Amino acid sequence: MLEFSIFILLPLLTAGFCYFVKDLRIQYSISLAVAVLHLGLSLLVFLGLYHTQLPTFFSVDSLSKFFLLILSNVYFWVVLVSFSYLKRPVMPKAEEGKKYYFLLINFYLTANSAAMLSNHFGMYWVASEATTLSVAPLIYFYRNEESLEAMWKYLFLVSVGIAFAFIGILLLTLSAKGTGLEGKQLFFWEFVRNAAQLNPIWLKASFIFIFVGLSTKIGIAPMHSGDIDATSNAPSPIAALMSGSLRLTALLGVMRIFLIIRPTTSYEFAKILLIIGALLSLFVAFVFMFKVNNYKRMLAYSSVEHLGLISLGLGVGGLAFIGAMYHAFYNSIAKVILFLTAGNIHRSYKSREVGKVYSVLTRIPKTGWLFLLAFLAISGIPPSGIFFSEIKIFEGILFSDKPYLLAIVLFFLLFIFINMGKIIFNMLYQKGKDEKPQTGTEKFELTHFISIVLLILLASVAIASPEILYKNIISITKDFGMNL
Amino acid sequence: MENVLSILFCLSLFYVVVTSRVKAYVTVLRVQGIILAILLMIPFIYHFSIFGIILPATLLLVKVFLIPRYINKVILDLDIKRRIEPTIQQMVFLPIVIASMIVIFLASNILSKSTELNVIPFASGFSAIVIGIYIIMFRKKLIVHVCGFLILENGIFLFGTAVASELPMMIELGTLLDVFVVVFLMGIALNRISNTFEGFEITDLGRLKD
Repeated sequence: MLEFSIFILLPLLTAGFCYFVKDLRIQYSISLAVAVLHLGLSLLVFLGLYHTQLPTFFSVDSLSKFFLLILSNVYFWVVLVSFSYLKRPVMPKAEEGKKYYFLLINFYLTANSAAMLSNHFGMYWVASEATTLSVAPLIYFYRNEESLEAMWKYLFLVSVGIAFAFIGILLLTLSAKGTGLEGKQLFFWEFVRNAAQLNPIWLKASFIFIFVGLSTKIGIAPMHSGDIDATSNAPSPIAALMSGSLRLTALLGVMRIFLIIRPTTSYEFAKILLIIGALLSLFVAFVFMFKVNNYKRMLAYSSVEHLGLISLGLGVGGLAFIGAMYHAFYNSIAKVILFLTAGNIHRSYKSREVGKVYSVLTRIPKTGWLFLLAFLAISGIPPSGIFFSEIKIFEGILFSDKPYLLAIVLFFLLFIFINMGKIIFNMLYQKGKDEKPQTGTEKFELTHFISIVLLILLASVAIASPEILYKNIISITKDFGMNL
Repeated sequence: MENVLSILFCLSLFYVVVTSRVKAYVTVLRVQGIILAILLMIPFIYHFSIFGIILPATLLLVKVFLIPRYINKVILDLDIKRRIEPTIQQMVFLPIVIASMIVIFLASNILSKSTELNVIPFASGFSAIVIGIYIIMFRKKLIVHVCGFLILENGIFLFGTAVASELPMMIELGTLLDVFVVVFLMGIALNRISNTFEGFEITDLGRLKD
């Protein structure tokens, strides 16, 4: 019961508390305490030092343990930076947004933990819809036209998407008609155990609906547009939270149904669908990197690219699957650094347009260097973890039955790297038109500290490659029945 | 009984397709809410239980009173023009809808041979899902998009009763709550949109592009 309280009830109570206590500092302290507890406990659960006993509808398995840790980790850093972020001067209109910030973010933690820990499709659906509801008002933080439009589009598109996922869940029920599962409820593991008996036609339909519906939330092309608008217009910590954890919550749903479909004849079909979605995402990122002129949108497209790579890993299977799991972890960390430093750039230049940002390295050198390092990390330059996870995905593709995919993927990735690099180097090095030569001094802030810690984490986890992480990922792989 | 109600549900869909008044959408949402609540109550006519009545009562409250009232309030507050602005005319829209429904009913009939399902509620639910999407695609007003989304949700609900989904009550209530909050948030967003932008149409939202 303790774990249920800390993972789900406590954040919910804190959200309620934040409604009544208006002082931001108190809201921050208590939210941070909750984040620390959440991170501590999910680490204990992950390390196997704490055995959970959750009520009906909730349970822990290797996959949810792993994703919960990613969520806790991202959430902790985001909350840590939130107060200094909220102290920044904003337009008077946006002051209103601050009032509900901690309330919503705590509610987000409740909903997201519930979604990660759920072992029932219905519960998963309710919780993941609640994550959308908590994040949508946060997108509208700045209270300007762009953020309003982004919020509307995100709320609408994702709600329709999630409604589609619900149809998928109903079709899953239909696929169980006439089997031993009929009359039992929609528990994941019951379905996994009896997957072979399910009706293949309905199961296929169910996979299509769940995958397409949740794609709006994962950001898999062609359903990515709402997600791009939302991530690029949300305040940086929220963008980090969305890219680092919310997309994975939706991916979890797809992985659950993928797990059910595995022992059936529809498995190949599901794999192909995942691979098509992944390649489309890479293609979209490849095309838009040529013309994107807003650096936060660029980062959002980078998320589309990396989630695409993860889906590709899932679809190809084997070693690529292991790579995809590592990639989910490393990508979440790298995205936090990128969005936080991008937030600093936005504050200094008051613009998200690439053309209006110049000489970042001389004007705000600390942020500039960290942004550069984060870019190198996300592009898979060693010793960043992304390098190792991508290599695993590539190796997996090469030794799979579709090695030609590697050529397509590498072609896309190369151009994405070149174009992103071009944009970022222009921002960092290009001189402004009528700019006086100046070397800026920049105070060392919390965002810098967090970025450095996370960069070290990104490299050290990859180099040290902790046994427990490896074992857990292998255990997930075994659950998915992959042969290595 | 289920079949009769489902056919009534389909008729409400036809009405929504041909009407050009925003208010009519709200009325249709109310009617659909009542139909769904009656559908849920049928099993309890013979085996009455207080516990079982909670879900239909909540559904009635949310889908017949709260949401339509709220949408009406938004329409009044924002002084939205009463006529919808379609991108295609009703006389083109209606044949498209009828053709889609024929395909859905025929397909459901074929599918029912391999799996046991109630064809009429199943096909009606699916038609509502498709028509909800059409409304979102072919209408310009944002408030009508919200109504389209709700028709889609109603369709899913009917579809759920047709496949006899076994979602526990707590989760059914959770889904209702989620839908209500979505509409509530959309209402707030519409309010803001009316203050920030010129109008309430999808064509006004075009700032975010690459």
